[in-house]
Amino acid sequence: MGIVRWVLPILCLGLLRVAVPAAAPPPYYAIRDARIVPVTGPVIERGTIVLSDGLITAVGTSVTVPPEAEVIDGTGLTVYPGLIDALTTIGLPDTEPPQAATDAPGGPPPQATPSPGGPRRPASRGPEDRPGSTPWQRAADNLDTDDRRIVRWRSAGFTTAVVASGRGIFPGQASVVNLAGERPGDMVVASSVALPVSLQPQRRSAGRSAGFPSSLMGVLAYVHQVFLDTQHATRVAEAYAKAPRGQKRPEYDRTVDALAQVLADGRLVLLPATNRTETLRMLDFARELELRVALYGAHGAYEVADEIAAHKVPVLLSVKWPERPKDADPEADESLRVLRLRDRAPSTPAALTKANVKFAFYSDGLETPTDVLTNLRRALDAGLARDAALRAFTRDAAEIFGLDDRLGSLETGKIANVLVTDGDLFDEKTTVKLVFVDGQKFEPVAEPTRPDEKPTTSEVDGDAQGGRP
Amino acid sequence: MMKSWTARPQLVTMGVVLIALATSVMIRASQVEPRVASEVEPTTYAIQGARIVTLAGRPIERGTVVISDGRIAAVGADAPIPTGAEVIEAEGLQVYPGLFDAISSLGLTEIGAVAATNDETELGDFNPQLLAAQAVHPASEHIPVARASGLTHALSVPGIGESSLVPGQASAIHLAGWTIEEMLLSRTAALVVNWPTYRLTSSGPPNFSRRSRSFAEAKKEHDEKIRQLSEWLDQARHYGAAVEKGSRDRISPDRKLEALVPVTRGELPVLVNADRVREIKEAVDFCEKQKLRMILAGGADAYKLTDLLASKKIPVVLGPIQALPSSEDEPYDIRYTTPAVLHKAGVLFALGTFNSSDSRTLPYEIGNAVSYGLPWEAALAAITKAPAEIFGVADTVGTVEVGKLGNIIVTDGDPLEIQTVVKYLFVNGRLTALDNRHLRLYEQYRARPKPATK
Repeated sequence: MGIVRWVLPILCLGLLRVAVPAAAPPPYYAIRDARIVPVTGPVIERGTIVLSDGLITAVGTSVTVPPEAEVIDGTGLTVYPGLIDALTTIGLPDTEPPQAATDAPGGPPPQATPSPGGPRRPASRGPEDRPGSTPWQRAADNLDTDDRRIVRWRSAGFTTAVVASGRGIFPGQASVVNLAGERPGDMVVASSVALPVSLQPQRRSAGRSAGFPSSLMGVLAYVHQVFLDTQHATRVAEAYAKAPRGQKRPEYDRTVDALAQVLADGRLVLLPATNRTETLRMLDFARELELRVALYGAHGAYEVADEIAAHKVPVLLSVKWPERPKDADPEADESLRVLRLRDRAPSTPAALTKANVKFAFYSDGLETPTDVLTNLRRALDAGLARDAALRAFTRDAAEIFGLDDRLGSLETGKIANVLVTDGDLFDEKTTVKLVFVDGQKFEPVAEPTRPDEKPTTSEVDGDAQGGRP
Repeated sequence: MMKSWTARPQLVTMGVVLIALATSVMIRASQVEPRVASEVEPTTYAIQGARIVTLAGRPIERGTVVISDGRIAAVGADAPIPTGAEVIEAEGLQVYPGLFDAISSLGLTEIGAVAATNDETELGDFNPQLLAAQAVHPASEHIPVARASGLTHALSVPGIGESSLVPGQASAIHLAGWTIEEMLLSRTAALVVNWPTYRLTSSGPPNFSRRSRSFAEAKKEHDEKIRQLSEWLDQARHYGAAVEKGSRDRISPDRKLEALVPVTRGELPVLVNADRVREIKEAVDFCEKQKLRMILAGGADAYKLTDLLASKKIPVVLGPIQALPSSEDEPYDIRYTTPAVLHKAGVLFALGTFNSSDSRTLPYEIGNAVSYGLPWEAALAAITKAPAEIFGVADTVGTVEVGKLGNIIVTDGDPLEIQTVVKYLFVNGRLTALDNRHLRLYEQYRARPKPATK
């Protein structure tokens, strides 16, 4: 260790790299005389919280502040646990595989991240080709610390995100990351917490057919088959491990192998569902295959809240409420079904709270965290209690992913992910004063101007079931 | 299938009639100049003892219709039977005007999936010079099939409902004849315009997948098409005026503009295909400003605009009744009730099948509207008299009246009922065979080898 301490700065100098440790702030902070909302306990109207070396070491009214700590006067400020975005692609390089471009001369070089299904191969003909399946990939292994959304989200008080790729049917494992870090590894809180499943049929791309599965029923059948294969392969592997001799060795299948591990580790399977039919279908699916699941999307869950509660299934609720597309035909005939969902989706969080369904919010591709909070206010207007909203962004999110022993509240021993505001978090006028991620202090960066409007042409999705992570 | 079975007895009857009359025809041959030297068919018929639904006044409960040299020569309870006339005993039968499919593609397409049999559309947005009559195939198998349901004439319409803005001109045709000349009822009946819609999806390079686009972009394309249409009309007005002034040799002939001149003068109506409220309103406005005579085709939303259509006296050719509502929140029976709604509002309307193989269902389609509030007489008119008025052929077809063409049918019941059998069918005053492909297939498979029983 001693040698490493000496060698590392020299190496850094040698590489002409400005070493961070030189400017590293003291990892000890104390916020004094602030209003503290620990989420897991009653609000402390005037108290102190101490963050030491990345962890919360003390919270309360009579707390000893260590002498090395930088003391922050918290008068008039409120301290919350850092917010969690429960499903997003923040920090992931754009994994959209421009499949045509990999062949096009002079096109961009192939991405380091293989597209789902690996290098280009013929369109799949059936489940045995494992289309759109890369469950061995972990979001944690593809992080890009330069993603500008990291700073943007952090500046709004989000300290943690559950990240997962949205490409393919089994796009890979979701990871929990803190939204700060020099290297990707610094960010990772848990490299694998869940396995998102998308029910999007394979898309057709230039010059080639979509391949199997190109319909919803095909995707459902495929996903079903893969889980059955996994469960079967697990039993076969166990039997073979006991007595390999005299038995044909089990076939190696990367998809099944990865899934077997994910299930053995007890990871959550994330299933998409928007309306009643989709929800009941996914609940049945989970029960039949004995999977531990969470539903995501869930805009229409207000009408099935009791059924979800009866199954004790948690929900990741997209705050990207369905809206009339900005450039839609002003006289388009919109069906009552669509209008109803648009009108009632923001009442879903209140309905879930009432039914005792555990849920967390996720940004679902919203472009700015301001949009997230603006949309959340619609849920508050539709009857969601503020403390329930806060729980959904903190403790409940942590609990759903099994990380409530580390994240989601202001308690001694938890990761120092802290948000300091000058008022109630959900008030429009409130601003974020400071954000701590892993005990490191960040001043919010002013929201950059809105990213350019998306080009007017975009792929038309088929009948979508649920959102995509 | 049902139709084929019910049509069977007609053949026998007709055969008997023809054989029995061979001699009288030969005598008559000296009196009346035959159309074709070798032809042995009579030119004068008297349908006797039938109930006559003329659609011009009250039905005649028991009377005679005389057809002579292609035209109706007499109609009445006591109409005298000319000597030498072929007498058809029609006791217990009923006479109706022949049915008229107001929008069809009869003669233009045989089998949709076989490209060589389709002559409905041409490339390009603007082809007013194309004429259905030039493309109609007289030997189309769909024509005799349509006749078996009582259709004697139809409007043959090119490219309606396609993406082309002006796909051509519609022709009214008789549903019998060896040549198109023989079949012509009206060479140019209307100019077809597919009113531009706002298409929010498009396909094209780079990968020809469907893409969505903004409303602004769709509107731009829509507005551009309308601008082009008015520009063409302006050019046609100049062209027409120049030709009229007599400087013919100094104007290079332009078939497109020539085709448009009668439209600009209000002599030829425009058959505008539009379904949605906004598009219908736009089309009505446009035609009013351009002083065009508009006929609305399709008109799924016409029931929402009855006041407009009635006040502007814009006739409507509705599409098939047995179709789905255009949005999921519309009443399930909206297509069935629309004819009644239009009738009540005083909108002149007809029914079209917009198809070739479905022409045979025309009377049963409108028959369904009767169950949903449309008076029976109005339903019958929608497939006889109304389309004749709409397309300017009311002086020749549409009712059973003296002087009109002999396009009539003799049935054993209500032609809107599917069980009714058409016993005799006259086109252009000629008794026309009711044999058709459906009937032949029925006979063929009925006579198939069967396994021995017991």
